[in-house]
Amino acid sequence: MKNKYIFGGVIVVVFLGMMIYLFTKSNVQYESDFGKVMSTERTIKATGSWVKEKSYEINKSERTFVFYMKDATGHEMKVIYSGTIPNNFESAKSIVVTGQYKNGNFHARDILTKCPSKYQDKQSAAASS
Amino acid sequence: MAGSILITLALAFSIFSMVMYYLTYRGAKNTLTIARMSYHAMAIFVIMASAFLMYLIITHQYQYEYVYSYSSDDLPFGYLLATFWAGQQGSFMLWLFVTVLIGVFLQSYTGKRDDLEPRVMMVFSLATTFLLAMVSPMLKNPFAYIWAEPMFIETVKINASYLTQPFMQNFMFNDPNSGQTFVKMSGDLYATLQGAGISVNQFIAHGKGLNPLLQNFWMQIHPPILFTGFAMTTVPFSFAMAALIKNDYKDWVRQSFPWILAGSGILGLGIMLGGYWAYGVLGWGGYWAWDPVENASLVPWLISVAGIHTMIVQRKTQSKGGMGKFVKTNLLLSILAYVMVLYSTFLTRSGVLGDASVHSFVDPGTIVYLFLIIFVGTFLLFGIGMIFYRWRYLESQIVNEENLLARELALFTAAVTIGASALIVAVGTSAPIFKQSVETRFYNEMHVPLAIIIGFLNGFSLLLKWRQTSGEDILKKSKFSLIATGVFAVLIILFGKVYDIMMILLTVSAAFAFFVNAEIAYKIFTGNKKMLGAYIAHIGISLFILGVVGSSAYSKQVEVDLTKGKPVQVLGHTLEFTGYNPIENNTKYEFNVSVRDGGGKPSVIKPIMFVSTFNNSLMREPDILEGFTKDFYISPLSYDDGTSAAKSPQGNAVTLMPDEKTSIEGAQLTYADFIKPDMSVMMSGGNFQMGAKLIVTKNGKSETIEALMKKEGQGVTFIPVELKDADLRVELTKIDPTTKKAEFVVGKLSATAAVTTLPAEVLAVNASTKPFISLVWIGVAVMVIGFFVSMYRRLQESWT
Repeated sequence: MKNKYIFGGVIVVVFLGMMIYLFTKSNVQYESDFGKVMSTERTIKATGSWVKEKSYEINKSERTFVFYMKDATGHEMKVIYSGTIPNNFESAKSIVVTGQYKNGNFHARDILTKCPSKYQDKQSAAASS
Repeated sequence: MAGSILITLALAFSIFSMVMYYLTYRGAKNTLTIARMSYHAMAIFVIMASAFLMYLIITHQYQYEYVYSYSSDDLPFGYLLATFWAGQQGSFMLWLFVTVLIGVFLQSYTGKRDDLEPRVMMVFSLATTFLLAMVSPMLKNPFAYIWAEPMFIETVKINASYLTQPFMQNFMFNDPNSGQTFVKMSGDLYATLQGAGISVNQFIAHGKGLNPLLQNFWMQIHPPILFTGFAMTTVPFSFAMAALIKNDYKDWVRQSFPWILAGSGILGLGIMLGGYWAYGVLGWGGYWAWDPVENASLVPWLISVAGIHTMIVQRKTQSKGGMGKFVKTNLLLSILAYVMVLYSTFLTRSGVLGDASVHSFVDPGTIVYLFLIIFVGTFLLFGIGMIFYRWRYLESQIVNEENLLARELALFTAAVTIGASALIVAVGTSAPIFKQSVETRFYNEMHVPLAIIIGFLNGFSLLLKWRQTSGEDILKKSKFSLIATGVFAVLIILFGKVYDIMMILLTVSAAFAFFVNAEIAYKIFTGNKKMLGAYIAHIGISLFILGVVGSSAYSKQVEVDLTKGKPVQVLGHTLEFTGYNPIENNTKYEFNVSVRDGGGKPSVIKPIMFVSTFNNSLMREPDILEGFTKDFYISPLSYDDGTSAAKSPQGNAVTLMPDEKTSIEGAQLTYADFIKPDMSVMMSGGNFQMGAKLIVTKNGKSETIEALMKKEGQGVTFIPVELKDADLRVELTKIDPTTKKAEFVVGKLSATAAVTTLPAEVLAVNASTKPFISLVWIGVAVMVIGFFVSMYRRLQESWT
């Protein structure tokens, strides 16, 4: 009976330790307050919306896409995304960018667009009527 | 209405059946037949309701919200079938349907075995009761009418002849953002239509349609198989609860065994088909993204598989009398597998993961949220509570004897390792509840050491005898496997160029497991074939691990522009884009790319791109050149037909508001003023021009230019401005007279000239090689076969 607990226990302890370590290392927090996003260089998932009124730039040769995002309180930041402009970007209601804030810009390596999908267009139409 | 009545009746019979089974268990006479009949009545109503939903979909009854939201009249029959489970309500319905059918077989199975039926079936019908409540008219009812909750419908979906009716004025709304007009389908409109003698089914002419990603063969079979796997986990749960209720733990393992084996086989197959669909349709090049929806199905599978390993021990150690070893572990794992299915459902259906997944369902409302919590909570408390209740008795029955080199311990360690994997996936998937999230490397890096342990244990445990083994014996038995693994290790390092130490360990451990199992399987192949199950399943999992290592750690990918008619060398293949052609009534385009691998005959692969009317977005479908040792995967990115390159300048796009400035192409660009159009001419549709006055500063020199848009007759032309000194070309591409927002494309004059003289058709693709990805599919398929062979054996044993 002891052996069972020794073997099982060692595996559980080792993996719990590894899991906690990796969890803190690879953990990415959601942040909707850009003030906080801009105060750290950690990798973060920033949620906000696209500032359509401001300029944006598509660089075809370097495959970058630069635009402005704002949070609910109106904080704005410049986002530099290495990649092509995602599908549905123009119609996205909210955007989740994953990356780091460095040297005054948010360098995104991933963009997730939340579109007014079939589930949501009820509300979007309702809001405007 | 008919559908809701059927569901309500089924719910009533389910509750009644549960009560009658409970009374039978408490010793009441004559209630068993009533309980059985009620269960069967419930089953008949559920089958009728499912058939009715299918009928509504096939006959396009758009007065039902579910049918309108997920299907349309132009879908072929196969995709109409898939509509059944395309949405939340329908997938609950599918889950209910298979659960109820499994219950019919379970009833007959338990009815023939001692006093099992009342205990098992009362727990099982508790599960059907909850599922029925889920699809009942109170919650996610697939039979809800479209006007039950006001819904905005695009005017194109409405029968045009009714739009002009005078009463329609009150129900039309304009969305200024999209410019579309919607009809508000509400109870009021329903009443008005009734008054005018128009049925809603006539009024709504078309459905919204099915998400194009789901319009795929694999989506017709993946969800039914996956939900069958989910539903099957209800059975071991019920057996475990039945054992706890009676406080008798000797027989339940062998009775539950064939069910948990079949369930794990089916769930494993379902998960793999989902991965195969993702690989062939989504176009990001992989089959597993550690997405919450995927993880949600993996966790119960891992727990079931861990349970299988410790259940074998309990069975084996029973032979000397007593209830055997690891009883608490087995009970706990059987209960947790089903609870995790429910928890997964809660995660993916309640909206808590809203931000984390692209394809989690959106918030279904507070009542459903609470109901899901009650659903999970009930089964969790019921299950864990019963184990606590029986804890002292279970502790008193423990068999205390164990040897370090015994198979029992190896199997227990295997279960702990698989359980650790389940825990890791569950923790990572639950993180978004606490506003956290983990990157995929969390899962990947955790699973490399786990998979190494699993591989070695897998091989090693089979070399061990039950109870006790001597060291020499192991060495003697493992001679072949050790030599073969050694040779394999040398081969993969020399020829496979695998140098990473973790990857070497991983492939070696998987190969070791493969050789041990293959040797034993070969030996017993001539003997009792039904004993082969475990070895086949283990061969499958080792092939699978080898496939995962090859296809993910050694995949190469590159983005390339393919110019029509010009062969390009990509990852050892010669690619040539030969043009495109429309398919499926000009709704989609296939892009033909010929691939030559070395000197052989070229094969043509055809990635597809199209703009979907369902969600107005560009859909890209990859195409794959499949081979045993390697897949060559092409995912389209974009297509430029060359004519736009001649017209529009190459360069960078920038949007500006008046008075805004930006630096671009080494110059400073200031949007100085908006050049107003003549409003009266513009309104009357005459010729006019408008544009932007820009100040361009480069190398200290400033120039003021006017970028203009001219409208003449029907056409609009943009007039580019060329600045020779600054080597710039500025062209207005978009301008909005109300906001004055303008978009410009700025490029180098020299570069522009080069491009404009050479218009060419360019297809941009993402190409990748996936070595040995075929082993991923073959491995899982072999494993599933193993599960079923084992099931056959354990089914025969379930009698004795």
